[in-house]
Amino acid sequence: MSDTAVSSTGWKPNPRAARRRSADHLATAFGMVMAGILVLVLASILWTLLSRGLAGLSAATIMKPMGPPGSSSGLANAIMGSLIQTFIALLMATPLGLGCGIYLSEYGSDTNKFASCVRFVSDVLMSVPSILVGLFVYQVMVAPFGHFSALAGSVALAILAVPIIVRTTEDMLRLVPTAMREAGAALGATRWRVTLSLCLRSAKTGVLTGILLALARVSGETAPLLFTSLGNQNWSFSLNRPMASLPVTIYQYAGASYEDWVQLAWAGALLVTMGVLAINIAVRVSARRG
Amino acid sequence: MTPQTSPGMTQDFMMTETDPQTVKSPEVALAVRNLNFYYGENHALHDISVNFPARRVTAMIGPSGCGKSTLLRIFNRMYDLYPGQRATGEVMFDGRNILDHDLDLNILRARVGMVFQKPTPFPMSIYDNIAFGVRLHEKLNKADMDARVQDVLTRVALWNEVRDRLNAPAAGLSGGQQQRLCIARSIATRPEVLLLDEPTSALDPISTARIEELLDELKEEFTIAIVTHNMQQAARCADQVAFFYMGRLIEVDSADRMFTNPKQQQTQDYITGRFG
Repeated sequence: MSDTAVSSTGWKPNPRAARRRSADHLATAFGMVMAGILVLVLASILWTLLSRGLAGLSAATIMKPMGPPGSSSGLANAIMGSLIQTFIALLMATPLGLGCGIYLSEYGSDTNKFASCVRFVSDVLMSVPSILVGLFVYQVMVAPFGHFSALAGSVALAILAVPIIVRTTEDMLRLVPTAMREAGAALGATRWRVTLSLCLRSAKTGVLTGILLALARVSGETAPLLFTSLGNQNWSFSLNRPMASLPVTIYQYAGASYEDWVQLAWAGALLVTMGVLAINIAVRVSARRG
Repeated sequence: MTPQTSPGMTQDFMMTETDPQTVKSPEVALAVRNLNFYYGENHALHDISVNFPARRVTAMIGPSGCGKSTLLRIFNRMYDLYPGQRATGEVMFDGRNILDHDLDLNILRARVGMVFQKPTPFPMSIYDNIAFGVRLHEKLNKADMDARVQDVLTRVALWNEVRDRLNAPAAGLSGGQQQRLCIARSIATRPEVLLLDEPTSALDPISTARIEELLDELKEEFTIAIVTHNMQQAARCADQVAFFYMGRLIEVDSADRMFTNPKQQQTQDYITGRFG
């Protein structure tokens, strides 16, 4: 009394299925190897940085300003210069980027010609080589005045940060459901009130993430600073004069023939990397909390 | 559920009782006359004329795409958010045609509240969800605002569930609680008309039952227009039912007559589930 299913040839080994299976395994292995290579590249960069940079990292590196070779100098003025210039750059880029992102998401519909134009320009700006931005700022803010300045450096960094903030702000605001806007409007709120109190508030983690990403991106930029804030061996807090920065110092010191300068360049590179890493971790944490 | 009636019988009634004012009511809150609506080129509503009696529940039923939600969104000019959408005709509310271009939309929307299909809690505390709308239109001191918040939360039967966590984010509430919060938010600005666009379609049966009970209490104060796909809900909650099909108002009548004795064959077919 066997009422099992009728046996058929359906279960016999099938060469096509076996071939598909091995192709599948091959594709998986390919992906894993490529991913492994990427991780290896990053790990080896970090390893080199750590092994070379840690030796040069000491209290003096952070406390003392730059100085002549052999004078047990540090990077304090370059660290401070980088902090000042990126901070001012963000101060300029954030309102511009936020305003533009809000406009594109809330007011510039896909059929709006001006908005598509702004969106396109912003995307182009994102992929402009940073050295071009440096040259541009040199032409408008350095050459006419006859001297380099920290402010010019900040402007160059701000130009690089703006499109990143624009793009993330627009994307994050677009993730806010239409229902939220309609619900706000249905209570009699004006469009601006809806944008500010509802949309921006729902998207605040994402928007903040964009600002931090922009910060991470510009804090390691060297090229835009070369022709703008130039670099400075000494302490300087004037925005109207050349100012030191970590990336430019690394550029100057790494190729020098003095042992201790090269050592400081590695230490500076390690500092920049750790800073960017810290920002990226902050981004992750803030994104998860949102 | 809905008793079947023979089509022949409904034909007789049609001759005598097809005027829009079949529900006897002292006042009409919203009077719609010769209303047409267009989504760009698409003519979505054809020549609608219907009255919404004050302090009654009017349910709008019909298959998807029949125009019932479109009509609802005209009453608070929600369509104004989208370019290319326009309405012609007349919707009289408190002596004014709300389709007038110079109408202050923010005032209209304070007087005509709306609750949506999906609960949309704002990204703020339970308390601020209520206070947000109130602050747009009134300046209340802390004590008055507290009282208003407690009042509306009590009326939607949410107060006891949230009184200890008014400052907690509204997103932490369950779906049913969120929808009751949204209703509370809408009535907190003290509107005269409440529009509900399938307010229970995303909710479980228990939450749905609570919201239906709530409607029964709210209609003592508000004129309610509800869009629903649920025949039983329309039969349970509504005083008046309007059946729409392909952008036209096919029939409007009291809920009792609509579900026992519809005059139109299409209505009959729809409410008995033969199409839709």
